[in-house]
Amino acid sequence: MLELRGVRVVYGPGAPPALDDVTLQVGAGECVAIVGPSGGGKTTLLRSINGSVPIVAGTIRVDGVDISTLRGGALRRMRTQLAVIAQQHDLVDRLLVYQNVMAGALGRWSTLRALRFLIAPTSAEIAEAREALGGVGIAEKLRERTSDLSGGQQQRVAIARALVQKPTAILADEPIASVDPQLGEQIVALLCSVARSRNIALICSLHQPDVARRNFDRVVALDGGRIA
Amino acid sequence: MSSAVFPPDLSPAYLRALTVPVAQTIGMAAAGMLVAFAAGIPLAVVIGTRAPGHRLLGTVLASLRAIPDLTLAILAVVLVGLGPGAGVAALALFYTAMIGRVYGSLFLAADAAPLEALRATGASRISLAAFGLIPLTLPDILTFGTFAFECAMRASIIVGAVGGGGIGTELIGALNALDYHRALTLVIVLVALVAGVDGLGMLVRRDPRLALILVPAAAIALWFDWPQIFAFRHALHTFAGMFPPQLRATQIASLPLLIAQTLLIALGGTLIGAVLAAPISLIAARGLAPLPVVLVVRRVLDVARSIPEIVFGLILVVSAGIGPLSGAIALGLHSAGVLGKLYAETFENVPAAPIASLAATGARPLAIAAFGFIPLALGPNVVHTLFRLEWNVRAATVVGLIGAGGIGQALFEAQQLFFYKEMLAYVLVTWGLVALSDWFGERLRIHMGWHFIAG
Repeated sequence: MLELRGVRVVYGPGAPPALDDVTLQVGAGECVAIVGPSGGGKTTLLRSINGSVPIVAGTIRVDGVDISTLRGGALRRMRTQLAVIAQQHDLVDRLLVYQNVMAGALGRWSTLRALRFLIAPTSAEIAEAREALGGVGIAEKLRERTSDLSGGQQQRVAIARALVQKPTAILADEPIASVDPQLGEQIVALLCSVARSRNIALICSLHQPDVARRNFDRVVALDGGRIA
Repeated sequence: MSSAVFPPDLSPAYLRALTVPVAQTIGMAAAGMLVAFAAGIPLAVVIGTRAPGHRLLGTVLASLRAIPDLTLAILAVVLVGLGPGAGVAALALFYTAMIGRVYGSLFLAADAAPLEALRATGASRISLAAFGLIPLTLPDILTFGTFAFECAMRASIIVGAVGGGGIGTELIGALNALDYHRALTLVIVLVALVAGVDGLGMLVRRDPRLALILVPAAAIALWFDWPQIFAFRHALHTFAGMFPPQLRATQIASLPLLIAQTLLIALGGTLIGAVLAAPISLIAARGLAPLPVVLVVRRVLDVARSIPEIVFGLILVVSAGIGPLSGAIALGLHSAGVLGKLYAETFENVPAAPIASLAATGARPLAIAAFGFIPLALGPNVVHTLFRLEWNVRAATVVGLIGAGGIGQALFEAQQLFFYKEMLAYVLVTWGLVALSDWFGERLRIHMGWHFIAG
């Protein structure tokens, strides 16, 4: 499903490699945690899989397609397969919850449909948002303003948005760094649960090895850009 | 028409003759702003730290700001005498009130947590400003400061128009002499000056220390532009002659119509400006449109912004005749330039992370704009528009000078005829009208929960 071979990333001439000879395979429905110190290359790894960071050596294949060869529209279409959940959930807080959730569908919608949705969403679209929110346990927040939700609820909205994207993989970059430990464990468990139940590959960077061990199928340590 | 205006007079002799008025205009704006920053920032700190009396100070500053710059300039010319000194006095007073009020509001809206931590150390108000308020609000302070400087440059044209010196006096002279070739030259010079201030502002935003270089230059300008023919006894006598303000019964009866005309010009101008600016700003923001397109559109907005409402009005008077509609269009064209720039900068300042998240879904650029840039920028852009409406109530009185109607026209007619008691009455009506619109705008912003401060 997701296959990295000998991936190397360098951020500038003379700089030490941010990723060096990284090889990793993640299957559908498999949950892999990437742990390691800050600056160890976790975020770079996720960004390179998403095509946001160019690689200088190796290959990254998603369902057999080498993403380093993709540009423009082809890269944009590939990104619809790779949902990203960031540390600060990165929602548009002025939008309503269901609008943020359905933003996950923007990659498969035409621009006209996206604009129409903002003005007059259909009942099917609202139902899809409700179902995604139900999957993360906050269906009742559907029509609330996103900025009115707590940090944990906003992180759940971000997961719901990722589900609406109908991805083959979710790339989660320290999704629990800004929530308390108990809530963090709940969010990680939820992420793993939805990934397994929907056969989505999950790669999640974390700072907490114990949380990783308890919830993930595999834990990979990354330090100095290399898999330890 | 076009042959009467084009080409501009670019003869070496005329360009040489313009060096003194250009220097006067730059000096007037720089000196006025030096005084405004020196006086306005301490006043803003008083408001921002909620020092005793801050509410009264805020009200006084709001009241002062409610007197249009042209009205202040007329008063300054009457009291201080003709020349750049009057211009500096009018600009300094107007922009001190503006800097004090806007920076004060910015300080009040600053992130409370770090300020609380500083207060807990027992820091004085000055330390609180130096270590908290100013660093926390620096980007907004610099953005508004450079915007205010630009406004001062344009306002120096307006104060020049009533005898404040500089290229404003030259422009009115050229228009009175029906010499549109020279008038066009002066408009081009003005556009270049404002573009220069814009460029300078960009450099200062990048490295705020550069602003310090401007201080000695502004101080020298202040030294040269200090009022030289000021006669206190004459000023006092003239001022006393304005009291008591009075209007005849027929003038009082016509006040509602004049007020309605003024408000319609302001509303119409703001609406035209916002409708033009909204789509233009989308292609004027870096990150939303290709860089070459952004650069070209920004320059077009610079030109629209550089030309004061009154100059647009004069151009329209020549081409479309006078009246409230011409006044509204004049305000609208200038407002489109201002709002286009402000909207675009707001788009550029939206947090990068939510936009990156939307892009990561594979969304198309217009969908990213609709789901990300526009909702994230909506609050600040509504506030920009409300501020522009407040500004346009002032500007609607200024375009009265060229016959657009409303209170402004009545005020200038009274001034032209030396009916100072009537003039003061109209000044007070103008002040009341602007103060009321400011108050209404502020209530509306608070009601909407949008406390952002901008131009």
